[in-house]
Amino acid sequence: MWNVSGLEAVHRDYESKGVKFFFIYKSLAHPELAGDYVQPFTLTERLAHARQAEKQLGATIPWIVDAMDNRLKHALGNRPNSEFIVNPEGVVVRKRAWSHPAGVRKDLEELVGPVERITREEDVHLKIELPVKAPAARGVVQRLKRPRTVAIVMEPKIEERGLPFFAKLRAEATDELVSDGAGKLYLGFHLDPFQNAHWNNLTRSLSFKLEVPDTAKFEQTSGVAPKVEAISDTDPREFLLNVEAWPKDQPLRLTVTYAACVGEETCHQVKQEYVLHRRRDPDAGSARGEGAGYWDRDEFAQQQLAGDKDKDGKLSRTEVRGLVLPHFDALDTNKDGLLEFEELKAVSDWLNHHHQPGAMRTDSAAKPPIRLKAKP
Amino acid sequence: MRFANWLLVALALLVMSSPVQAQRQKLKVNEEDFVKEAPVVGNKLPDVTVYSPTGTEFKTADLRGHYTVLTFGCLT
Repeated sequence: MWNVSGLEAVHRDYESKGVKFFFIYKSLAHPELAGDYVQPFTLTERLAHARQAEKQLGATIPWIVDAMDNRLKHALGNRPNSEFIVNPEGVVVRKRAWSHPAGVRKDLEELVGPVERITREEDVHLKIELPVKAPAARGVVQRLKRPRTVAIVMEPKIEERGLPFFAKLRAEATDELVSDGAGKLYLGFHLDPFQNAHWNNLTRSLSFKLEVPDTAKFEQTSGVAPKVEAISDTDPREFLLNVEAWPKDQPLRLTVTYAACVGEETCHQVKQEYVLHRRRDPDAGSARGEGAGYWDRDEFAQQQLAGDKDKDGKLSRTEVRGLVLPHFDALDTNKDGLLEFEELKAVSDWLNHHHQPGAMRTDSAAKPPIRLKAKP
Repeated sequence: MRFANWLLVALALLVMSSPVQAQRQKLKVNEEDFVKEAPVVGNKLPDVTVYSPTGTEFKTADLRGHYTVLTFGCLT
């Protein structure tokens, strides 16, 4: 979400005029970004995401949570950050594809009337919190560089009394695999930060098995993650498979086995199943992060400088907008009250890694390694 | 003078072809497409069941009697 503080400013001015504001929590736009978040599998998990968003983004605007079938998102045009104004009779009176707080203010001035004193975005100081912290180190296992892939539909087999999905599958395919049935299949098992679990590397590594249709041709139908020296970590376990022929209407059945621990004592041997379909999942978002494509540093900094109204090549507090503003002080590392080109490049680093703004992510960003007993 | 004009045109072309301009153009097209999609302005807000962050169900049709601003978002 790009501009929370801008909308918060409008909210503060129009709340007293009876206008109600809501954020709608939907499926993640960019999994793996901003705290290594992954798509929730259950409504309970999505509700936890929304409660975290309340804290992490620090706005006083309340959240509404869309159902797991994304019905509201589908009914309202399927965009990640669209915006609507509905009148007292329940009729849509304004809509835009991307949230634009200045536009909302103008709309409300027309619909409800102007306010006496306008709250400026730069005067809004959100009480932001950091993303959920991984319970063990990241950056231990080399990430897989994926080719250009899109998320495909996969269904986890959720058992009512089963263990939670500590690790969640991200299944992606190259365009050719989706369209022609031949290409590359990415299988990434990402620990869900909300489950607070880490891998137990003292026992057998994560492994998976695929049941494929008779007519399908897969280079491999099983895999085992390489042994990791560190006793625990939270990096994803990733595989890239060559597929020669996957018939369109024949789903794959995947079984994954892994050991995950919560804290030092409670370890689980987990076996979970998924069904994978050879079609694009329009609700799965596009992954961002190591191995999945970052924001380009120079391009990002250049785009930000579009807001440089006085053309001094730097952005002042009144010239920055969106996500950057709440973190302005932390991102202004030389403390001159301005964000220069190099500091703006560091902003993209921060967005890419979502470590604490203004500091490069190091292993110390995660908690120290956890001691484990040899037996899972 | 002629050279200055040429330079201005060249500069304008350069700005228009920049990644920033391309991004703006893309956003403009996206906006134009979006306003034509359902629900268009004047349509009722679709009535579906949604939840509060603590899990209480409610209907979007309940959002009546006041102006409401709805903005989609997530943690990323």
